[in-house]
Amino acid sequence: MSTLTVTPLPALQPRSRFGVIAWVCSVFLVVIVVGALLAPMLAPYAPDEIDFDNIWSSPNAAHWLGTDQLGRDLLSRALFGARDSLLGPVLLLLLATVAGLAIGTLAAWKGGWVDTLLARITDVMFAFPGILFVVLVIAVLGQGAATTIVALALAYTPVIAKYTRSLVLAEMVRPYVDAYRLQGVSPTSIAVRFVVPNIAPSMVGYLVVLFGDALMSLATLSYLGFGSQPPSSEWGLMVQEGQSAVIQGYFWPVFVPGALIALVVVAVNVVGVKISDRMNARMR
Amino acid sequence: MNSPSRRARLTAATIALPLATALTLSGCSTHVGGAVDVAFLPQTSPAVGDLDRVKWSLPQEPAVLDPDAVSDTSASTVLANVCDRLMQVQPDLTTQPGLASSAEWTDDTTIKFILRPNVRFHDGSTMDADSVVWSLQRHMAEDAEESDEYGNVESVSATGPLEVTVKMKQRDAIFLQAMAGNGGIIFSPSAVADAGDNFGGPGSTDACSGRYRVGEWKSGTSLTLNRFDEYWNTDRTAHTQRILFTWADDDAVTNSLIGGEVQGAYLGTAAAAVPLLGNSDFTVAQGPATNAWSLIPTRSGLLSDVRVRRALSLALDREGVARAGFASLATPAKTPLGEGAWGYERDAFAAADEQLEGAPAKPSADDLEAATSLIREAGDEGKELVVASDGQPVRNVIANSIASAAKKIGLSPKIIVVPPQQYGDFYSDEALRAKADLFSDEYYISKNDPVGFYKNAASTAGLNYLGFNDPAVDAMIPKAKAATDETARAALAIALQNKWNDAMIWIPVVETPTTLAMASDITGAVASAAYLYYPWAADLGAARKDGEGK
Repeated sequence: MSTLTVTPLPALQPRSRFGVIAWVCSVFLVVIVVGALLAPMLAPYAPDEIDFDNIWSSPNAAHWLGTDQLGRDLLSRALFGARDSLLGPVLLLLLATVAGLAIGTLAAWKGGWVDTLLARITDVMFAFPGILFVVLVIAVLGQGAATTIVALALAYTPVIAKYTRSLVLAEMVRPYVDAYRLQGVSPTSIAVRFVVPNIAPSMVGYLVVLFGDALMSLATLSYLGFGSQPPSSEWGLMVQEGQSAVIQGYFWPVFVPGALIALVVVAVNVVGVKISDRMNARMR
Repeated sequence: MNSPSRRARLTAATIALPLATALTLSGCSTHVGGAVDVAFLPQTSPAVGDLDRVKWSLPQEPAVLDPDAVSDTSASTVLANVCDRLMQVQPDLTTQPGLASSAEWTDDTTIKFILRPNVRFHDGSTMDADSVVWSLQRHMAEDAEESDEYGNVESVSATGPLEVTVKMKQRDAIFLQAMAGNGGIIFSPSAVADAGDNFGGPGSTDACSGRYRVGEWKSGTSLTLNRFDEYWNTDRTAHTQRILFTWADDDAVTNSLIGGEVQGAYLGTAAAAVPLLGNSDFTVAQGPATNAWSLIPTRSGLLSDVRVRRALSLALDREGVARAGFASLATPAKTPLGEGAWGYERDAFAAADEQLEGAPAKPSADDLEAATSLIREAGDEGKELVVASDGQPVRNVIANSIASAAKKIGLSPKIIVVPPQQYGDFYSDEALRAKADLFSDEYYISKNDPVGFYKNAASTAGLNYLGFNDPAVDAMIPKAKAATDETARAALAIALQNKWNDAMIWIPVVETPTTLAMASDITGAVASAAYLYYPWAADLGAARKDGEGK
């Protein structure tokens, strides 16, 4: 009887090499997440509170980030908007990961016609321009935040499936898989109990990077009018609502959500790449 | 110490750039929520010089240049210069003879038009009574866009080579004004027949006799009008040889004006003119119009109760909407019609407007209290009020303002967004109307007569979505339409207006005058709503003679 050998994960480095920039980005992300969670307590105004006497105010003591075209406080809107802006990508990646992981693992594990069929389906989906695919789905299901999340989840599924497939293929040639097979463990059980957990670290790094991309995609769709709807203060929608201000020489209603989107995407990418690097190093 | 990596430098720069930009931009910010000072006049100063070409922007590409198929703003703006009507709207919105040299009521139900001789269409044929009869019958056809103007018409016949007689079912005081709109356009029957199914589309010729003729229409790109040098009215000069139309939304138009890509535009949203104010390179003018934004309740929900409509009207901050949505280039409205509709008895209409209650410019504490009581009385506290928007800036401002007002008086507002392309379907699609309690829109009439609007209070009127039914109103409308004495007609129109306001069939928001933006080196265009029917391009020309400095 052969012995099962599972390669142990290398121990964490005693001294972190996460890097200053990555730490700054992490802290920034934590601040944003905490801000979103505590928005009702932190926001100085209700996000939809209209004040026509303070239209398009520049930042001042009463409105730290200024106000929009309806005199609504931009800081309050940004804090509440962080909820929709951050929760959306989480949900869509959750959906896409469940589907992508299942498809990718199945394709790699079964091989043959199953792999070919799934590869062709994902290729077809890849061949569609992403935004066109999403708009088509929205056209069928109707606009709104929930529909946009589902549409984007469908668009991200082949991406995650392809990545999963490559990871599972690499994992399948490792000795522990054969060992479990010889022990009579069912293929499904090997995949679910051993292979998926082993590829999880790589997946996490990849998903963190995808989070930034998903946030940007959702914001873009809200900007185009397909995603979150008024009076939500989702950041992409805030940019869309604020664009009429730009033509009139007032930039804050666009700048505040725009900068938040940019900074969160950059921060998530920096942290994601760092996590991915460390995970890969540990895998080695 | 190690130097930062390339990635770290890049990241730092990415973070720093927006912040630095913010600091820079904050210095550029201007507060535009305050009052603005724009000339209010029917027409800009006369042109003094000729021009080879003027580039003008439309809100969108015309769907088709056939007023019986589509009468949208873009098509009307173009057709105003291409087609003549039996009567002609003037820049001050009064009505004068057009292709008819005279129009006379021969008895209570008969009107006789005497036509001008030697009027040539662009295809070379000559206007006669037959072509006029043919044109009016085309407008009257059941599915024609302009058929509503002919509701009282029994028959149209040629009673002489240059004489047309229209028999009415009842005397119709606003029929002559209707003949100055798109419903009074006279076509060359042969030109329409030659164009066949493509009539009015890109590649076809027009069938009119106006000061300009349709030249090249590059679908999706531009539309050119060329001066028609065989125009029948030799006294009517046209300073500009060609008008090149392109199309873009208001924000893009402002940029195009600043960048010099276009020289003028009638702006759909007055607020778009703000960046041009105070800039000597541009002229911004506003003129009288019948336009006003209103909240149009559907029958489906809460607003079927007049108390809720009155409450919402009392709580709405119209001054705020004017400031936020129109940069104060609109004014709070008490009625769903702009002052430009007061084509007669202006003092009487102004006094009546002054007396109207229930639509405050800025709700007072008492107004809000009264509104809250009305909601309580109706038993609708906490009920959902669904407001439709299209996500565009003006409707967003209005929708959010309604939501704010609704919240203050105890309702629970919800905004739904319908794609802009579908928004117009609220007028025709009952299923769409069932999804919202109200939608907002800017409405205008082609006639400067309030009766032309308040006829919509009739229990059978198409726009009476609430099913408002008042036998007194139904009896008053035909009387008002038939009243040729202006004092009597104004009295009836005011009575209708009071009934409308009392029932809040539509809830008025703001009046929106026509807003014209032009490069300062051109002038002459009308600033009033007449641009939809009056040949404004013929007045357009150079502001200075050649060689004359600024």
